[in-house]
Amino acid sequence: MTPPKILISSLSKRYGATSREVLALEAVDLSVSEGEFVTIVGPSGCGKSTLLYILGGFLKGTGTVAIDGRAVDRPGLDRGIVFQEYALFPWLTVKDNIGYGLQTQNIARSEREDIVHRYIELIGLRGFEQRFPRELSGGMKQRVALARTLACEPEILLLDEPFGALDAQTREIMQDELLRLWRKTRKTVLMVTHDVTEAVYLSTRVCVMSQRPGRIVREFSIDLDRSASREEIVLSAAFERARNEVWILVRAQVVSGTGVATAT
Amino acid sequence: MTVSNRLRTALSFSGPFVIFAALWQAASAWLAPDPTMFPGLGAIAYALVRLSASPELWSNLGISLARNYLGLALAIVAGVSLGSCMARYPIANGFFSPLVGATYSLPKTALIPLLLLWLGVGSTTDTTAVFLSCLLPIVVHSYHGAKDTPRVLLWSAAALGTPDRALLPRVMLPSSLPQIVTGTRIALGFSYVVTIAAEMIASKSGIGKLIFVYGGSGAYDYLFATILVIIVVAYLVDQAYVRLTATLLRWHHWE
Repeated sequence: MTPPKILISSLSKRYGATSREVLALEAVDLSVSEGEFVTIVGPSGCGKSTLLYILGGFLKGTGTVAIDGRAVDRPGLDRGIVFQEYALFPWLTVKDNIGYGLQTQNIARSEREDIVHRYIELIGLRGFEQRFPRELSGGMKQRVALARTLACEPEILLLDEPFGALDAQTREIMQDELLRLWRKTRKTVLMVTHDVTEAVYLSTRVCVMSQRPGRIVREFSIDLDRSASREEIVLSAAFERARNEVWILVRAQVVSGTGVATAT
Repeated sequence: MTVSNRLRTALSFSGPFVIFAALWQAASAWLAPDPTMFPGLGAIAYALVRLSASPELWSNLGISLARNYLGLALAIVAGVSLGSCMARYPIANGFFSPLVGATYSLPKTALIPLLLLWLGVGSTTDTTAVFLSCLLPIVVHSYHGAKDTPRVLLWSAAALGTPDRALLPRVMLPSSLPQIVTGTRIALGFSYVVTIAAEMIASKSGIGKLIFVYGGSGAYDYLFATILVIIVVAYLVDQAYVRLTATLLRWHHWE
């Protein structure tokens, strides 16, 4: 049997000194197959981003984290990451940001230019090649960040609340672009968000995480026809039902954390 | 900008200078017991004209500025290297951080007599004094600039295939450039003070020596004219520096 694309088993993560340490994650198990779009939702501060950072190789936890059966110990080009705060290099132009990962791999200049050009077209930013990140809107920045990551053709996309800083309209547009991209490339995606609607709209599977220390409380398979339009999907009974189920469970996690439920 | 706006800007800029000049002139005329000790604007202007016609001013100014900017340039190279390495490598920080902390508030001009003893009279002592006083503000700004590199930038760079050893030159250094520019501007302001102080004590040439000689011989009109020249040069260089760095770092959002 081939190992799953991503395997996380009994993963825990502690922060801080031993005397006053904080347990961020506790015994998390998660397995993602190739081509799945899995989203983790949970209250803020539950450790869902930490999980993503460990998978990215930026932080270390205790337990098993493996890609294709190989343990993760450092960042790698097989995993592309997009952060909520865009993380574009402010001193590089749009073109050079997108070409950054290609340059570190010593891809020849002409080939690099071709790839960058293709991604600029894909994200609809032609004419903005020489702009610096500070001259772009939030939506444009996040498009560039996505293009920069995709240009390296990672097998796995890790998305850390990628649309969290965008206004509601731009967020919907970006979600649709991401969905279109995923349908075309069928990359394995692991996303983290606190937006239940976004999670259900985009993912094939939604995992709900508890308050800190984060554990995965329950997984929901989402079976929707993604070829339909946004309106059709969002207005369908299946979407409504899935969204409500996830929302009630996420809300229960938030409420249990604040002590509201135990007060009565 | 309309003509009246431009006029208003010009007036609000020159106003304080006009008032200061008037107060100066009044003090010179009524308060000073001896007009040569507190020369009026006319005497200073006349000295300025005489000075600018003589090669003495320009050759000494050239020597001073050469020492000044050489010391500053060496401080930038050493300061940025040291500061960014301290930010990147804990072992470098562990070693240099106490030294930087202990010597930061030491007035470097106090070292000039010692440098004079070690290095003798001349450009080496002057340049070394400038180098030492410009070094620490650049080290500190470069260190904090590199240290403040957002972790998502370092993580993104690593995820995009940047090897660990390249993180300093490719991410931390460019990310700290705005702070380095600020630290260098502070050092630039220091540098003239130290150049002139060093030349007064440890040099046979330069603007500082000129001021010292004029002061000693009671030629206060020439002394003030020379000071005026260095003020104007320092101001123009500072303005040019601000414009140049704003253009080079146009990607940065200056507050």
